[in-house]
Amino acid sequence: MATHKKSIIAVALLLCVACVALAQSSPQRIISLIPSTTEMLFAMGAGPRVIGVGNFDRYPPEALTRPKVGGLIDPDVERIIALKPDLVVVYGTQDDLRAQLERAKIPMFLYEHAGLQDITSTIRELGRRIGSAKESGALADRIEAEIADVRTRVAGRPRPRTLLVFGRDAETLRGIYASGAVGFLADMLDAAGGTNVFDDVKRQSIQTTSELAVARAPEVIIEIGVDTASATGRNLRAWDSLASIPAVRSKRIYQLRGDGMMNPGPRISTSVRRVAEVLHPEAFQKIESRK
Amino acid sequence: MSIGRRILVTWVLFGMAALIVCLLAPLVGSTSISLRRVFDSSIPFEDNADAQIFFVARLPRVLAGALVGSSLAASGVVLQALLRNPLATPFTLGVSAGAALGAMLALTLNLSSGIAGFSAVPIASFAGSLGAVAIVYGLARARHRGLSTNVLLLAGVTLNSFFSALILFVQFMSDFTQTFRTVRWLMGDLDVSSYAPLMAAAPPIALSFAAFAVLPRRMNLLSVSDESAASRGVDVHRTQRLSFLSASLATGAAVSLGGPIGFIGIVVPHLIRLMVGADHRLVLPASAFGGAAFVVACDTISRTALAPLEIPVGVVTAIIGGPFFLWLLIRNR
Amino acid sequence: MTDRGLAAERISFAYGPHEAVLDDVSARVPHGGLVGILGPNGSGKTTLLRLLGGLLRPSGGRVVLDGIDLHKIPRATVALRIAMVPQETQLAFDYTVLEMATMGRYPHLGAFEVEGPEDLAIARAALAATGTEHLASRPFNTLSGGEKQRVVIAGALAQSPDILLLDEPTASLDLAYQLEIRSILQKLNRERSLTIVVSTHDLNFAAGLCRELILLHQGRVLAAGSAASMLEPALIRRLYGVEVDITANAKTGQLTVIPVARAPEAPGA
Repeated sequence: MATHKKSIIAVALLLCVACVALAQSSPQRIISLIPSTTEMLFAMGAGPRVIGVGNFDRYPPEALTRPKVGGLIDPDVERIIALKPDLVVVYGTQDDLRAQLERAKIPMFLYEHAGLQDITSTIRELGRRIGSAKESGALADRIEAEIADVRTRVAGRPRPRTLLVFGRDAETLRGIYASGAVGFLADMLDAAGGTNVFDDVKRQSIQTTSELAVARAPEVIIEIGVDTASATGRNLRAWDSLASIPAVRSKRIYQLRGDGMMNPGPRISTSVRRVAEVLHPEAFQKIESRK
Repeated sequence: MSIGRRILVTWVLFGMAALIVCLLAPLVGSTSISLRRVFDSSIPFEDNADAQIFFVARLPRVLAGALVGSSLAASGVVLQALLRNPLATPFTLGVSAGAALGAMLALTLNLSSGIAGFSAVPIASFAGSLGAVAIVYGLARARHRGLSTNVLLLAGVTLNSFFSALILFVQFMSDFTQTFRTVRWLMGDLDVSSYAPLMAAAPPIALSFAAFAVLPRRMNLLSVSDESAASRGVDVHRTQRLSFLSASLATGAAVSLGGPIGFIGIVVPHLIRLMVGADHRLVLPASAFGGAAFVVACDTISRTALAPLEIPVGVVTAIIGGPFFLWLLIRNR
Repeated sequence: MTDRGLAAERISFAYGPHEAVLDDVSARVPHGGLVGILGPNGSGKTTLLRLLGGLLRPSGGRVVLDGIDLHKIPRATVALRIAMVPQETQLAFDYTVLEMATMGRYPHLGAFEVEGPEDLAIARAALAATGTEHLASRPFNTLSGGEKQRVVIAGALAQSPDILLLDEPTASLDLAYQLEIRSILQKLNRERSLTIVVSTHDLNFAAGLCRELILLHQGRVLAAGSAASMLEPALIRRLYGVEVDITANAKTGQLTVIPVARAPEAPGA
């Protein structure tokens, strides 16, 4: 009888330890300060476990219902700690925040924007970290498959010289910022079958003056994330004054609206496809209309 | 040499220097272009990349630099005479802070002007500068019938601090990409890429320069003291008003066009005074031409030194102007 | 003719509602006169001088020049007749001595007119009259106090005025310079019939220079008349609250005033 009791107690203890260990390995109260990682968490089904988001996290709409804890430059440390998270996803450069969370012994997941493949590898890593390896794996696989599909479709086709603009003063040619040869935007363009006119600029972004735009003579201009109150048509007409640019002459200037375009998150495959559809419309016979 | 001849020589010499700089600048750039092709009228403009670079990218930029440089340098001279202080700058009295606040708001709220080819940013910026001028002027006039330069200075400095705080607040509230663009605006940018902004900035600047044309002699007398100027028949209050308003108008227009490009309003007049003396009939035109040449030269460096990357022109003027000014001060001791 | 000259007719002036400086002041400066406005600090001397020069507008009464209200005469015309020398001149910019003198020609020039050879000659002559012509190309700021003051007087002379107003011309000047200024002013008055008005608190300077004195006490005229009659112990006691001994100096014959003891004002004085 005593031996039975001992065994039961031993098993019970083991089970308890296992449960605790299991519980500890999968965080239940997650805070994410970056739009991309917030999207990732929701996309891999961990939405219910997200208890706090950054000020600029707008997707998915559910994220808006969570308490806001600050942004990249100004994380609200007090609020974060008050919410009693067991995992906080922070940006690599937020040194102050990291120091404070370390002091408070709150576990962290570090993230920084990088290239295209880093998006899916982050999804897998983050998924493993929060105990959703299966779901995150599936998500990452799907994204990679979609991107691979795009690559296949545009393979072998001539790659137009493209200027990928992500910032511009509305209705003028001032303050134009384009993607350089480094970063997920550059990778996105590459996957979509385009050649970056700024292939030689080993930076993430470069301010494009009008002289530079004419000198680089892009065949296609794609503007993303340039959301203004201005009507698209009027906004794009600003390029008309640089009529010697091939893209202007052949009217291959596209504005891809939607805030998902600038986020290196789960929707990246959609973004890649949108860019590819614009560069190689023939490769996408059935153009599904998406936002 | 009689003063009349000295004035003529100053105009001719400095005018030619500015002209030469402005004629050479469009020929220089990060892309090599062929001047023959630029002026080859047989090639339709839409196909002529060289002509587009010259006429759309570079020439408006050089003209913008000339407008901004001459306005800021001349305004600096006028304000230094008004405040009787060679360290005063066109930005001392809060005009550029008002312009900056207007620009920040337009950038952060992603405003559109509703007029094709016109960005909302310069419009908001100019409105901001006018607002600042109105506040400072109102404050300075409230106490006395005339324009107390002391109150003017205090009001301007206070407004500067207050608007700077507001600007920081706006930057704080905006998201990351907007913050970068607002910070970039503060560094100055002359790439107007069209003649429209120039034509918009020209009228207020021309108006100011018309006022500048009649001020120099009175500025000489006024810069000694109010009393001595009045006893020589100068209408002190009117001259102060005219000086303040015209200098502020020119500064507001210049900042709206190219952003708050610093050091011009203080380095150029100082350098000019070392060359021509203190008589404002020489200092004012020489500074206007000198300012134009200086900014155009700095902008040329800004777009060629690290091509294809651009160094913001305000950074170039600071890098050149700052140490140069220090050297001047040390040399004078 | 009694009309010629500068006169204050019952003028009052206040800088603000409770800052009354002058009250019911009448004074006459005859053509060719050498008048001193004498009084302790704060008695309103500088203000009276500025009012006489047309730089300030009286709140009551009027200032007349040759019988005409000063403020009815255009500013530029007044500048042709009256020139002012302030107490101190501090320059923010490096004008040369000649430029300082030439600035005095401003009232004589048209809108965009530039100084011609005659203007330059007059400026140089003004410098010569104050013994500063040799400093013409020096920057004003490098001069000594006395030299600066003489250059400023030259600048006022260059206006070719009939009347010269000087505010405390010898305050903060060495004894030698005081003597120099005095002799320059006497010479100008004698040789050019320049009407001269100085405001000063220095009794001995006034005694040595002025033929007539206006005693200003707390914004009111205590007395006015010939220097000899004004430099009288009873009046000085009322003006300065000091007991003085006034004697004619054996060497020069000039009246000298020696303070002896404090004599605080009797109530109701």
